[in-house]
Amino acid sequence: MSVEVTLTVNGVQRSATVEPRRTLADFLREDLELTGTHLGCEHGVCGACTVTVNGASARSCLMLAVQANGADVTTIEGLLEADGSFGVLQQACADSHAFQCGFCTPGFLMAATELLAENPKPTEDDVREAISGNLCRCTGYESIVTAVMLAAERGA
Amino acid sequence: MSGVAPAQRFVGQSVRRVEDRRILTGRGRYIDDMQLPKMLHAVFVRSSVAHGRIVSVDVDAARSMPGVVAVLTALELEGQAYPLSIQPDVPNVERPVFTALASDKVRYVGDPIAVVVAEGRYAAEDARDAIVVDYDPLEAVASIEHAENPERPNLFDDIPSNLLYSEHREFGDVEAAFEGARVVKLTMRPQRVAHVPMECRGGIADYNSGSGDLIYYATTQSPHGLKLGLSGVLAQPAEQVRVITPDVGGAFGQKAGLQREDVALCVASRMLGRPVKWVEDRVENMTSASHARSEILEISAAVDDDGTIRGLDVTMRLDVGAYPVLPFPPSFLGPIVRTMMTGPYHIPALRWANTVYATNKASYGTYRGPWAIETLAREALVDRIARELGLDPLDVRRRNVYTVEEQPTEMVTGPTIEGIRASEALERAAELAGERDFRAAQAKAREEGRLIGLGYSSYIEPAPGPPNLFPSMESGLPPERAYARLEIDGHLTVTTAQAPHGQGHETTLAQVAATEMGIPLEHVRVIHGDTQLTPFSVIGTGGSRAATMASGAALLATRSVKEKVLEIAGHIMEISPSDLEIVDATVRPKGDPAGGMPLANVAGAAYFAAPPGEDAGLRSSSVMHEPPGGWSGGTHACQVEIDPQTGVVEITRYLVVEDCGELINPAIVEGQIRGGIAQGVGIALLENALYDEEANFLAGTFMDYLVPTVMEVPRIEIEHLEGDALHEVNYRGVGEGGTIAAPPAVLNAVADALGGVPITTLPMTPERVLELIDG
Repeated sequence: MSVEVTLTVNGVQRSATVEPRRTLADFLREDLELTGTHLGCEHGVCGACTVTVNGASARSCLMLAVQANGADVTTIEGLLEADGSFGVLQQACADSHAFQCGFCTPGFLMAATELLAENPKPTEDDVREAISGNLCRCTGYESIVTAVMLAAERGA
Repeated sequence: MSGVAPAQRFVGQSVRRVEDRRILTGRGRYIDDMQLPKMLHAVFVRSSVAHGRIVSVDVDAARSMPGVVAVLTALELEGQAYPLSIQPDVPNVERPVFTALASDKVRYVGDPIAVVVAEGRYAAEDARDAIVVDYDPLEAVASIEHAENPERPNLFDDIPSNLLYSEHREFGDVEAAFEGARVVKLTMRPQRVAHVPMECRGGIADYNSGSGDLIYYATTQSPHGLKLGLSGVLAQPAEQVRVITPDVGGAFGQKAGLQREDVALCVASRMLGRPVKWVEDRVENMTSASHARSEILEISAAVDDDGTIRGLDVTMRLDVGAYPVLPFPPSFLGPIVRTMMTGPYHIPALRWANTVYATNKASYGTYRGPWAIETLAREALVDRIARELGLDPLDVRRRNVYTVEEQPTEMVTGPTIEGIRASEALERAAELAGERDFRAAQAKAREEGRLIGLGYSSYIEPAPGPPNLFPSMESGLPPERAYARLEIDGHLTVTTAQAPHGQGHETTLAQVAATEMGIPLEHVRVIHGDTQLTPFSVIGTGGSRAATMASGAALLATRSVKEKVLEIAGHIMEISPSDLEIVDATVRPKGDPAGGMPLANVAGAAYFAAPPGEDAGLRSSSVMHEPPGGWSGGTHACQVEIDPQTGVVEITRYLVVEDCGELINPAIVEGQIRGGIAQGVGIALLENALYDEEANFLAGTFMDYLVPTVMEVPRIEIEHLEGDALHEVNYRGVGEGGTIAAPPAVLNAVADALGGVPITTLPMTPERVLELIDG
């Protein structure tokens, strides 16, 4: 059995026929070849697969593609400026050496994107709270917190 | 001002990482991001029991399911891959022989039994669920105590017991050290922990049945080591095995060596003539990839009343799980721990005994700072000595730590101690921690019923260690090679034997090479992770080798290319090469900023019309041998507050004073330190790869195995000391120090908060802390 889904991904409307059990993560990564979204645990804890769905962060490993029918989805590939340069958050991450291996990165960027959209002037505690559902094994988090604060300061 | 621009020096600056352009935009390419034409997907059937004989594996139903191309068991692997074992030249060690897929027996929960290959992963997982394995269970060997019990069954039928290795050594005059001395005893038994790279393991085997070439795309930190292993096990000529490493999402030691799944995948591709991909899921990774630590270390220390440590008598018992991770023999850890046992302290005698056991658990895999048990146990011991003798833990450290004046000297176990700043780091850490003020605050807090504590740990880290370190461990440190090639446009390609996965070597090696060559940083590209292109190294990235060894090799290779460039430029410009310099990609007479010619023109001339007698290729290959010194080290200080009601430990302050020589890129160095400490905090407070008494694994998900989040890892203050350079290449590794030094710093702080209560195991969960509070 297959189901037709139509959704907007990074501003582009996409349609596909998928099995109902197909996760949004697999749909994005394999069917749409948007491999920037990563799978770190496939049980909803690590947060590497975080995308935004209608502006709110969501675990794409726990969501089915069919549940995103009609939704507006943004992935890490959608964070670049129109001219191909880094967005403010990305630049702040580069400037702060926020990440190391890069595997958890998409999830942190999407969680931080949601935070900064809702709360442009977060405190450090706000930032920690917002990314507390994302695991990073390389950095000890301090550089990520610094980067999100820097992005806020620069008006992300 | 003369107006002469100095050659730009990128070393020492926190330049932005080259890697970030792809990582921050979702354009990294990790193993699971790769799709090859006609690629198939594999999943493994794994044992649900810890120990048992396989009665039958029924794969018939699975083979006929939609999309399934093949189901392979040990039977199908016969004749396709040799059984696995450790190198025959390792002395005095039992040598388990096993197959990539379990044949007659399963030996841990997660042991791979069969591999399903299908057109897609969903189809492969459906078929996996249709496979029925019938076991005849055996009693489990779930602990070292079980392994020592002759009543329990042996894991390997041809090995007479579950004891794989034992060693006894003595250094210095141990008997004299203990004669008339006070004896302080301590047992330390940390838990099993898992490496938990955020990316699980995986690979794509791509065998071309026409050419007979095998390409294996692998999440590995040792591409050449993996190639070597695959070539031998698969009887595939070395020139027809190529290992390519895409972006790797962390490893921490878990992605070293030859994994059994690698062998099964390559056989599958060779049999089917199509690419086969496997990417493990998290439960599989937690269950089957590998774990570490969980040694039992018993120490008796001979001490004087003033806290002088005269000698140690140490017994280590180690559980290496069911199967060795090749090429590491079960005996490999002991010599590292014993050699490092006395750490930054002048302790003149050591008695050492080590036994190593097989158990029904996942393999022991080298984990960041593999020798960490010595730091944990020794630093807890120092505090215990202070407690029992009524001394200040800082004073016991002061009395025993190597001073600058006594260096160079030798550890009783052999390695030269030279250029370490242990004493200075200790004093500075105590000063920064506000030791005196803290003690007053602690007394006051105690009156209010609050529990606060301050603990220290001092350590040294072979990074990579002095030239005589590896001989002390009866092994050798392989040299490190690098290639450099000036491109036709004057840019530089540096090819390293490292296989980075977060360490930022594309950036740091470029900093070293660009500084040496006199060109902009953007003109350097660092190539890694392809055995067809990169110089041989059996290790790849591991053992804190990159800062010294890979940087040194890149420096020497670049320097050699530069000499060739100056030779050719000298010929063209009719000037002695020794009077030329390269500044900002211009070759010019020294001190003449207006003169000279673009480096690109020299490169072009060399490529198209090399002067007579000159080598047309501007390429060099260089080898770095270990320089003197080679130690990083320092002191960590940790402050905690414990909630007496809940037992929750909060780290209220954490600081590090350390020396790793000159910093190539301070932000990268500090990222390594902080990341290492975060893992150490996890070991101290949260993580536990727990098995029950029947060797069932209880920590397969992130709900059961707690990795520190941003809420548990504090801000970390770092101060760098920089000692005198003993060598031109004065960069040293910092990858492992955080992970080895943090657990004892936290442990000592918690013990201090609880009035000096002995703590002998980790993690210090709220439940455990409440038990300690209740005594």
